[in-house]
Amino acid sequence: MNMAWKEMKKNKMRFMILGSIVFLVSLLTFIISGLANGLSQDNAALIKDLPDGQFYMSTEAEQTINLSKIDTDVQGKLLNKHKEAVAFSIQMGFLNDEDEKQQSVAFVTSTESQLFENVQKGEVVLDQSMQDKGIQVGDSLTSNQYSGKFIVKGFSDQKKFSHAPVAFINTEDYREMYRATEMQLIFVPGKDSPDAAKELEVFTKKEFLNTISSYKAEQTSLNMIVWFLVVISGMLFGIFFYLMNVQKMGLYGILKAIGVKTRTLFKMMWTQMIFITGMALMISITLSQVLNMLAPKDMPFHLTLETTRQLSIVFFMIGFIGSTISGIQIKKVEPLHAIQRGEV
Amino acid sequence: MTLFTIDNVRKTFTNGEVKEEILKGVNLTLKEGELTALVGASGSGKSTLLTIAAGLQSASDGKILFEGGNLTEMNGDQVRKIRASKFGFVFQFAHLVPFLTVEEQLLLMLDVSESKINKTEQKRGIDNILTLVGMDHRKHAYPSTLSGGEKQRVAIARAIIHKPKVLFADEPTASLDSTKSRDVMTLLRDLTKSLNLTTLMVTHDEEILSNADRIIKMSDGLVLGR
Ligand SMILES: Nc1ncnc2c1ncn2[C@@H]1O[C@H](COP(=O)(O)OP(=O)(O)OP(=O)(O)O)[C@@H](O)[C@H]1O
Ligand SMILES: [Mg+2]
Repeated sequence: MNMAWKEMKKNKMRFMILGSIVFLVSLLTFIISGLANGLSQDNAALIKDLPDGQFYMSTEAEQTINLSKIDTDVQGKLLNKHKEAVAFSIQMGFLNDEDEKQQSVAFVTSTESQLFENVQKGEVVLDQSMQDKGIQVGDSLTSNQYSGKFIVKGFSDQKKFSHAPVAFINTEDYREMYRATEMQLIFVPGKDSPDAAKELEVFTKKEFLNTISSYKAEQTSLNMIVWFLVVISGMLFGIFFYLMNVQKMGLYGILKAIGVKTRTLFKMMWTQMIFITGMALMISITLSQVLNMLAPKDMPFHLTLETTRQLSIVFFMIGFIGSTISGIQIKKVEPLHAIQRGEV
Repeated sequence: MTLFTIDNVRKTFTNGEVKEEILKGVNLTLKEGELTALVGASGSGKSTLLTIAAGLQSASDGKILFEGGNLTEMNGDQVRKIRASKFGFVFQFAHLVPFLTVEEQLLLMLDVSESKINKTEQKRGIDNILTLVGMDHRKHAYPSTLSGGEKQRVAIARAIIHKPKVLFADEPTASLDSTKSRDVMTLLRDLTKSLNLTTLMVTHDEEILSNADRIIKMSDGLVLGR
């Protein structure tokens, strides 16, 4: 007999309240992690979307991209050794559109590579988001640091750095603008062990992302909220089942007296936990995916199914742990408990 | 025929530093088809003896012999199995499962006793027992809608649905008025006879004793007989 189901049917209200709390908490978790992911995409898609690999910065820069200068000889050696390697530089700056409106961008230049847009002198390729601001192919843009004009050659999808759209420019133009002869960074795709070089510091992608100002702060606080919510939902399960179990001590006692296995009582509780979590998650996953599709373009919301799946598994695990810990009382209750204390 | 033997059973409770011997070597045999009433002053150890005999708590010393085994030497799960399949329980309160209907209470008991009979036989058995206790018309009712006497009759039905050998009852009529308690008493007596049960019942009610085959008096942790 399915006692778990019978109990939920008889006490719909009680279980629906738990279900709706789990639903709200999980929806909030999905939304926050969608935001965290969206923001990190908005902050550093340029780096995030690169394949796995190693990043090199000059040691003297002390993990500040802006201060990094890689010696031309060192760069040459490294690029010679790794065919796919690319040296690149990033600087924040402004472009003025044809209406003289200033647009904040991140100027990026690189050696020739598939991983970055390579443009001719006097040309620029912009992040897709600039198109939404009314800039079109063929427009000519100016910059206060640049004597000539940039002709817009095209747009590239999802190229953001430090919350600004990326503007790919030619290395010569970059040198003129920032009076820099050396590149700041080298990226070597692939999982090979890094090349040890005294003057260079090596970063994995994750480590490198954390050197971007604001990235770490943003992600840490958002992830903290996500984990807080997960822990809260675990505690919710624990407290809810604890209260239910306390009320049901007498019942558990009598069930044990007539010969019901302790394991059966635990299974009953787990079934209820899984059912409620499942229902709540189904609704919150649907809603958050709808939000994912309907979110306005300039709202940084990006919730992948993979993240949803991982968080759902975490919810099930935490629900299991919460209910099981509170269920330890079930194990302890004696068959005589109810009989000696009167009516259930 | 002797079915159940309580042999020199002792029980000591420790309250902090104080040790108190509640059962001081009880000997008792129960016979098949007999209703044995256990009487005695409050605190004389009746409930303690009954719950030890029923495998609901352990003895400090002595033997509980049933079907060739000794309950005091078995582990928890072995005792549970015997409780589930061979024993039935009725207490002062009905202790029904609040979210199960009358019929489901009995289905649960059949589940727990792991009785091998099929669904249709289960249904028929349940209908029979409910008719026997006069509750067939409330088959689909939840406990909260039943009166005290009705609940107790359902509890009795639950205690015998799986065809136990021994029925343990601790003041089963104490929460009922005198008419209803007489009904329940007659019912227990009739069931003992018709199902050939071995029934051990604790009671305070003198009037009830006329229904018993045997009356055992307890005093201060010992059986006096009568
Ligand atoms: N778990 C326990 N711990 C300590 N003492 C206990 C425990 N259970 C029972 N006792 C004591 O054992 C004695 C006998 O209790 P028991 O419940 O068997 O009496 P009884 O004969 O059933 O009385 P009543 O007629 O009032 O039900 C009492 O003094 C009681 O306080
Ligand atoms: Mg008693």
